[in-house]
Amino acid sequence: MNFAKDNRIPFLYTSVLYICGFFLFLEWLYPIQQVTDTSDLNVFILFAVFCFLVSMLQIKWWFSFLLKGFALVFIINSLFMTTYAFLSKLWFSYIFMEISFNINMLFHQQWYELTPLFRSILFLILIWLMSYLLHYWFVIMKRIFVFILFTIIYLTVLDTFTVYDADGAIVRTFIISFVSLGMANLFKEVDRESIRFAWTKNSWIWIFPLIAVVFFSTLIGYAAPKYDPQWPDPVPFLKSAAEQAGGGEGGSSVRRVGYGEDDSRLGGSFVQDYTPVFQAAVKDEHYWRIETKDVYTGKGWERSAEPNYETQVNGYIALDTFSDNVKTEKHDTVVEFQGNTMIEKLVYPYGISQVEAGEATAFLLDQNSGEIRTRVNNVDRSLAEYSITYDMPSFAIDELRKASLEDPTAINDQYTQLPENLPARIGELAKEITSSDNNRYDRVRAIENYFGQNGFQYQTSDVPIPKENQDYVDQFLFESKAGYCDNYSTSMVVMLRTLDIPARWVKGFTSGEKIADNIGGTDESYDVYEVTNANAHSWVEAYFPGIGWVPFEPTQGFSNLTDFEINLENLEEQDDTLQAPEQEKPEKELKQEEEKDTAPAAENNTTMKLDINWGYVAIGIGIIMILAFLLYRKRYQLRAMMLSVKFRSKHDAKTYQEAYHYLLKLLSYSGLPRSSNQTLREYAKRIDSRYSSDEMGQLTDYYERMLYNNEINETETKKLTQLWKNLIKRIMA
Amino acid sequence: MMQETIIYNESIEKVLTNINKVMIGKEDVAALSLVALLAQGHVLLEDVPGVGKTMLVRTLAKSLDCDFRRIQFTPDLLPSDVTGISIYNPKELEFEFRGGPILGNIVLADEINRTSPKTQSALLEAMEEKNVTVDGKTIPLKQPFFVMATQNPIEYEGTYPLPEAQLDRFLLKLKMGYPSWEQELGILERTAKDHPIEQIEAVINKDELIGIQAEVKNVYIDKNVQHYIVNLATGTRRHSAIYLGVSPRGSIALMKAAKAYAYIHARDYVIPDDVKYLAPFVLSHRIILTSEAKYDGLSSEQVIHSVIKNTHIPIRKEFH
Repeated sequence: MNFAKDNRIPFLYTSVLYICGFFLFLEWLYPIQQVTDTSDLNVFILFAVFCFLVSMLQIKWWFSFLLKGFALVFIINSLFMTTYAFLSKLWFSYIFMEISFNINMLFHQQWYELTPLFRSILFLILIWLMSYLLHYWFVIMKRIFVFILFTIIYLTVLDTFTVYDADGAIVRTFIISFVSLGMANLFKEVDRESIRFAWTKNSWIWIFPLIAVVFFSTLIGYAAPKYDPQWPDPVPFLKSAAEQAGGGEGGSSVRRVGYGEDDSRLGGSFVQDYTPVFQAAVKDEHYWRIETKDVYTGKGWERSAEPNYETQVNGYIALDTFSDNVKTEKHDTVVEFQGNTMIEKLVYPYGISQVEAGEATAFLLDQNSGEIRTRVNNVDRSLAEYSITYDMPSFAIDELRKASLEDPTAINDQYTQLPENLPARIGELAKEITSSDNNRYDRVRAIENYFGQNGFQYQTSDVPIPKENQDYVDQFLFESKAGYCDNYSTSMVVMLRTLDIPARWVKGFTSGEKIADNIGGTDESYDVYEVTNANAHSWVEAYFPGIGWVPFEPTQGFSNLTDFEINLENLEEQDDTLQAPEQEKPEKELKQEEEKDTAPAAENNTTMKLDINWGYVAIGIGIIMILAFLLYRKRYQLRAMMLSVKFRSKHDAKTYQEAYHYLLKLLSYSGLPRSSNQTLREYAKRIDSRYSSDEMGQLTDYYERMLYNNEINETETKKLTQLWKNLIKRIMA
Repeated sequence: MMQETIIYNESIEKVLTNINKVMIGKEDVAALSLVALLAQGHVLLEDVPGVGKTMLVRTLAKSLDCDFRRIQFTPDLLPSDVTGISIYNPKELEFEFRGGPILGNIVLADEINRTSPKTQSALLEAMEEKNVTVDGKTIPLKQPFFVMATQNPIEYEGTYPLPEAQLDRFLLKLKMGYPSWEQELGILERTAKDHPIEQIEAVINKDELIGIQAEVKNVYIDKNVQHYIVNLATGTRRHSAIYLGVSPRGSIALMKAAKAYAYIHARDYVIPDDVKYLAPFVLSHRIILTSEAKYDGLSSEQVIHSVIKNTHIPIRKEFH
């Protein structure tokens, strides 16, 4: 095609503009991987590429709709539905189930319960819509500034408030924005002035200066010296002014309490969530264990090895955390899950021996972490109800004191790991705390009790996240001295390890709150406890050769739920042995009261990041933006519609005046304003000659008669409404 | 420019058609003269001789079946030459009034600035009072009564320019202007044989005209439009190039003229367009420019246009 003969902008140039838009959109996608739990961004980028390509080719709308829709289904299928034959009956019913479940969740505002499949569908649809919208903005309207502005705001906000580092992104955005703004402006000018532009001949006239300007401004911007921020970090600034802990400590993020998987970056504040997770009928309070982690990275916890699951036979769980020497008592309990919390792992007490949960349920144990996955029909599932038989241990304190220091090599290797750059002062502190103790148990106790006596604060808000070069434990022990269970338990494990005491970090739940007493037990009473998300917790297990892993509770306001037995025969040590548990007793009561009074002082284990919400927030914002944009785009039509409805029912002068003045406003908006010294007739003449019609003239005539002659002719209303509508259509076109 | 069709009142259209048979390209001046006539005002025509002033008035008079009189003002013209004189009648043994040319229906006062102020004021008084007083006797003027005075703007030698205060006795001040090349050719063609004025006939009579004049008074003028008129008048009083602005009499004149203009265009209500169109003709001779403005070469018309430009037009009704 020879475009030079008319003033249309060649496809090549509009495409370049559109591709610029695509690259800007990519800047929206890149951070998603970092700030949300999206694991594979490439799929979405691929889909975006596809959608933009299809839009760019400007094929028939129904064909592009089909193509994009098919791509969406294909992606969803290959991501989530590989177990079902594509487009089979099962496939459809699964999709239907998923969607109806999620819609239900949406209506109940259970944002956290939306499944990845549904979220992905929503996200893909968002990308789809964006491809259309950007095509409209960039190619048709050539109004791109707003989108660029939003992109920059988005990047700066993410850079400030999340882990995402937008250094590169902002430079890229700058370059793309300048190029596309330059082009769009030229194209708009060409459109507006109906310039005949010899595109091929004169391209260099504008291409070269544009590139030169962008190149030099980028170069200057990049090379120029930059001031450090003049304002303080806005994150603490935005929070309460009265904070001491959070200020300048590398920022923090608010999370929501609950059991989660990822502990690689601990720290930050969280909000309490009292959604019930499960209820259990137990005779005695005890910890609900889920898993342990063994590798401390300086920021959080990871596992040393990928889990190696062994299927457990007949529900017998072959997990031994302590040796047979430990005195135990046989107990059983029934766990009933509530609400929508999905934990596809067994939540179990110490000494678990057998689980019953229906026939098709399989239990896979990872010996290393003590994690027991629950599977139904070979699919990971969260169980609704199960009963557990367990041997509740009771550790004899004198046995613990007497335990040898000869750790098995494997245990020693695995559980005394520490990061290489761990600040030395942590070890020095641990040594100082334990200097007067001569056995492992007392040392462990000394460290456990250290926090309660040295001005540490239990708090869930204003808890800092360590900076890039800062150690999580170091920050807690020496700087912030304020935090929740993760801070306490991690610090204790690390301090134990500096003393070469094998220790590990345990996640699970505390016993929760008693909601019913003495329910139908035969010999002994069972109490029903309700465990909520706020009961998620982390604590410490220390290794004692010959005895096994013994739980300890360093967190202020929490008591060790494990039984310790005092050997009364050993009178010499009685004082000492009593000291620790006795000391805890009042603390337990006191703190439990405190727990009730100040609700937030509850437990947290691995918190679920609120950051995950960024996905929804992005989707939400996207949808709102699209809606707002559509409303904004259609605002004149909407207003026109409202007015015409009003005018249909009311024929009074006031309504007509409103309608007529709305028309004036609309015309003014579309570049034909009336100057105040222009009479309506003169103006109408101008409008009518512009639109080659006489509608404005007729409407004006009627309005004039109404305005200057107090005349209202109701028989003409219908005709006028029609004229008015026609004219508005004309203006809109 | 696209020529748009203008809707006229039926009778007025007949008159204008008649005038168009004689005059070429003078429809707007003719319509404006009618405005003054219907509003019971008078016109001051300022133009060089020979552009058709007399022809216009004569055609008008003939079309309206009116009595046409012409006074050629000269420096030696006496007031009694305008108003008339009482002559002793020996038969009746008493003085008998012989009416002057002012006692016609349509009077052409040619070159009014050539005569002495005394004679000028005799005319202007008659226009204002609608009667003449001779020898203690008051004689009413004929109805309808319409004066079209002309002024030669070129020659100032031996002239007595009308004082500004007296100029506002005229409702409108008009200019004929030269015809275009085509129009002038048309004039030549039309007058080659007989003059077309001989062929035209009256289309309405005096009584009808008086009736129309009464109807004009009933044309409705909305508050909005009155606001506009007042805005214009006050605008002239505030304008930096104007030494003396339009008096309230000017506002009244504008309103009257606008009513007549609306009537001519077959409307029984005034719209701001009427006012806006008429303002230069009604107002430009009622203002006195500052010497600076005169020195800058501004004309009264230009200044009035600038006032119009700065005056906003009310287009919204207040509902209570």
